[in-house]
Amino acid sequence: MGQSGVSNPFREDLVSRNLAEACSVVIFGATGDLTHRKLIPALYNLAVDGELPTGVRILGFARRDWSDERFREGLEKLNREVSRTGHDDEIWESLASNVHYHQSEFQDENGYRRLAERLDQIDQERGGKGNRLFYIASAPEYFDDILLNLKKAGLSQSKENCNACWSRVIVEKPFGTTLATAQHLNQVVAGTFEEKDTYRIDHYLGKETAQNIMVLRFANAIFEPMWNKEHIDHVQITCAEHLGMEGGRGGYYDKAGALRDMVQNHLLQLLSLVAMEPPTDLSADGVRDEKVKVIRSLRQWDTPELVAENVVRGQYVAGNVNGREVPGYREEDRVDPDSQTEAFVALRCMIDTWRWSGVPFYVRMGKRLPKKATEISVHFKEIPSVLFNAMPGGVPAGNVLVIRIQPDEGISLMMNSKLPGTTLRMEPVKMDFHYASSFGKSSPEAYERLLLDAMAGDATLFARRDEVEEAWRFIDHIHNAWNENGRDIPIAEFPAGSWGPREADEMLAKDGRTWRRL
Amino acid sequence: MSATIPTEGLGMPVEVGSIDTALKKLWEADEASTNASLMNFLVYTEDPQRLQKNSAMVQGLTREHACRAVLIAMNRKATEVKVEAWITAHCHLAHGKKSICSEQIAFLLHGKSLGRLRNTVFAHLNSDLPLVFWWQGEFTDLFEERLYRLLNRLIFDSATWSDPLAGFRRLAEAREDTKGRMITQDLSWTRSYFYRLAVARLFDDPMAQKAVPEIREVRLKGNPAYRVAILLLLAWVATRSKWKPERACGDEWTLVARNHKEISVIFEWDEEAAPIAALVLTAPDCEVSITREAGSPHLCQSVVGQGHRVDFSGPADADEAEGLVASQLSRGGKNTLFLTVLPRFMELLELASSKER
Repeated sequence: MGQSGVSNPFREDLVSRNLAEACSVVIFGATGDLTHRKLIPALYNLAVDGELPTGVRILGFARRDWSDERFREGLEKLNREVSRTGHDDEIWESLASNVHYHQSEFQDENGYRRLAERLDQIDQERGGKGNRLFYIASAPEYFDDILLNLKKAGLSQSKENCNACWSRVIVEKPFGTTLATAQHLNQVVAGTFEEKDTYRIDHYLGKETAQNIMVLRFANAIFEPMWNKEHIDHVQITCAEHLGMEGGRGGYYDKAGALRDMVQNHLLQLLSLVAMEPPTDLSADGVRDEKVKVIRSLRQWDTPELVAENVVRGQYVAGNVNGREVPGYREEDRVDPDSQTEAFVALRCMIDTWRWSGVPFYVRMGKRLPKKATEISVHFKEIPSVLFNAMPGGVPAGNVLVIRIQPDEGISLMMNSKLPGTTLRMEPVKMDFHYASSFGKSSPEAYERLLLDAMAGDATLFARRDEVEEAWRFIDHIHNAWNENGRDIPIAEFPAGSWGPREADEMLAKDGRTWRRL
Repeated sequence: MSATIPTEGLGMPVEVGSIDTALKKLWEADEASTNASLMNFLVYTEDPQRLQKNSAMVQGLTREHACRAVLIAMNRKATEVKVEAWITAHCHLAHGKKSICSEQIAFLLHGKSLGRLRNTVFAHLNSDLPLVFWWQGEFTDLFEERLYRLLNRLIFDSATWSDPLAGFRRLAEAREDTKGRMITQDLSWTRSYFYRLAVARLFDDPMAQKAVPEIREVRLKGNPAYRVAILLLLAWVATRSKWKPERACGDEWTLVARNHKEISVIFEWDEEAAPIAALVLTAPDCEVSITREAGSPHLCQSVVGQGHRVDFSGPADADEAEGLVASQLSRGGKNTLFLTVLPRFMELLELASSKER
């Protein structure tokens, strides 16, 4: 229940989630792709589903000299293309009448003062009580300016003389590029907004299947007793992308690399959901306390030797993806021809806790792999070498529980079954649950859920300061080893369209394991 | 095959004793399709003419709710006692890719034979999956304890009942018999879902929130065929606001608040209007209004007062039963709010019936 929802008697009992409250949503970087393709369609779809609170106003803040109409036209065009539920003119008009554009440079203090006046004016005209949600979707180099100017304009604190109103900020990734920059950004944020009002977005956590990890583990009695080193041999987390550096992504990506772009945030978040202890409750801090313990327990690969042993970095060379010839990473648009940036990374992660001692978590992420898929597979230990296992041929495979995050969300379980016939032969069979098959209705986009949660003051699916910093600490050690030792830790090569470099296979082979074939 | 009851589209006629074998063959014949099922979905009617229409409705419902559908129509007027059965599968492309199919078994039961409905139901369920039972029409003598105690969710539409008071009393007995385990879902209640959501959202407005204790008038407009839906909506408003029914005079009723202030309720009926066409709550300094044009998929919502006005368009509930059932199945839940509102609703229903006497 939202803070002010308590006094609305019609809210009580109506919905079973935290209540999103009406507010002004101010989007910084409003002319960008994220706003047009994700944020506005998410708000629109919430309106279609009747979930968007009445009285939500949207202000786009950006540098270009646009009018409200120009801004709305562009948003409408994209919404027609990408909206999950199609485009209903009446709902759109209703939403668009509450969409405005505010032109200002991000460094211009005066622009923020005008913004404050405009927000007050809107509240006065439309009866809003002064709730503000600031969404920083600009390029990361402007994060500091935006936060500091919000503070100077008095927008980062809840308004005086208002009853239980709030001011919150959502910060898009990348949240820093190193531990030091993340700490700096956290300091700036902390000097501007309280931690409870800070929402560091990781859209992977808004995905239906990511949320389902906790349900799978803690709402089914059969899994949790086996979710430990006694029964689980290892875990694999794979995030494969078939795309390369299309659409000018090379410029950003060549500075970031796979480790910082995906592993530091999305994949470590997934790892922490898989490995965390049951939280004491489902509150934001209850869940995040347990997640951060996992990240804090990651064994640090803090010497070049350890990095060489436990991490493989790679770049694709020219190859073939989906029947199409594609260039190598260093030949991609806006990529340095001598680039040392990894477009593929594979890690062996060890979690030094009682539950996971000795159980490796293998994480890999790569561009230009054969297909797009993000999956977590939990590989159970083999059965004792008696009975069927002692027979010639043994048992074909261990049990594997697979949680598919995207694109074909679902869960499957591999188990062994007797083949029909007079002899005893076994084959693995797959029990498979597909969200799309069982639930015809499409799931809300991650941004829909996350925007609604921020309006409701529920930070469960957002990263906390310590989570972000602990993740950077782990990543920085690896990165530093790569940088300090330069070419001592080589970059492995693999043909585009394959499943990554041979070195990644060898890392698992040393442990007597193989990567799962997706 | 019945001569007067349309059965086209129900699929392949089968002997009742070989339904399982026939279903197995049906699936074996098409390896490209996936048989999906999240529940046993049973649709029961005592109007055999509806059987075909129900099959078409299930076809639509299975787009979002994979199930084993069992359609049963009871032809109680027939003199000969016999059973006819058909099987088919409703298939849809899931996200434009895989063909997902739900199987359907349709039964036409002729003649009076107590226990046959129950036995037909129990013999054709998918083990372990929840049993959702859509009872169409009045609760008759076939709505009996040995049947309903095994239901997980009972769906019905009180708008179709000739005597809602008697129907709800029968429902209360059934709930008592099942010790509240059976989840009940009245489509008349579902009809007001987005109205209730809109009221709650509009009263998030701080000015409207302050006005709640000052509400003095409630105006309700609707189609007389959906009186129960409108009374349920009023019962919800009254329960949340802690108002009690006081007296009724034609279409002008009086409710009383805890502080003894009176609230005037004015009904307006129009046979051309949407099932629920308007709800307007008026306080001295504030008016909250939700309206819907007949056939429109949107609710127009507004809060007006003290120099400000907020207008908003939001979704409206479906008019037809299929859409209501689909949205209800999507929402799931135990529907405890409906049970909370029932006592006040029964008081209003009694007030309505005393007015009619």
